[in-house]
Amino acid sequence: MPPEISVTVRLFASLREAAGADRLLLSVPRATPVGALWALLPDTVSAGSPPAALRYALNHEWTSPGAPLRDGDEVALVLPVSGG
Amino acid sequence: MMIGLSAEPLDLGAVAAAVRDSEHGGLATFLGCIRREEAIREVIAIDYQAYEELTQRELVAVAEEAAARFGATVAAVHRIGRVEVSEPSVAVAASAPHRAAAFAACRYVIDELKVRAPIWKRMVYADGATEWMDGRDRVPDERPA
Repeated sequence: MPPEISVTVRLFASLREAAGADRLLLSVPRATPVGALWALLPDTVSAGSPPAALRYALNHEWTSPGAPLRDGDEVALVLPVSGG
Repeated sequence: MMIGLSAEPLDLGAVAAAVRDSEHGGLATFLGCIRREEAIREVIAIDYQAYEELTQRELVAVAEEAAARFGATVAAVHRIGRVEVSEPSVAVAASAPHRAAAFAACRYVIDELKVRAPIWKRMVYADGATEWMDGRDRVPDERPA
């Protein structure tokens, strides 16, 4: 098996604006935890530490930062939403 | 089940019609509309962006919970895209055999939707600036026209 896997990262709100795209394709080491993706984003997109309330969805279901990634996974970085 | 997102203006009549039931004597509706907030910083519109797949799942789950808890049939539609001040951004309807359950279910759906649906707001201010309300510290796009 190849040492790296491909994952799609879905971006929303200010992340999408900073990236100029609604998703990024990243190559990461196999079994990288979901929570490690932030540090792998281009600097222009992440620009600093993640918000405390950042949540993650893996293939359209909520997941924890420790969930390991597999080839072809789609991860959404779910920034805090302000209802109202 | 009328549940989901819409890029078109909301039609409360259609949302209410979706929960009509000949056994349900109470039907409550709610519209959430854009506030101007002139005393704070005047808003002229809000641009909504959703994580559509997960929003749909969450809204369906909320509707099923409302059915189980209140015996209600519910509908909920949230706008995406730009919504002008005073225009509705979300419409909810709930019907139940009696009014108490209809009101309770309607309230339950809007309260849960606000917390659980991954839908972001980009404020468009009268002074020309825009701002994503997504919990990030920002410098960009705070640019008065």
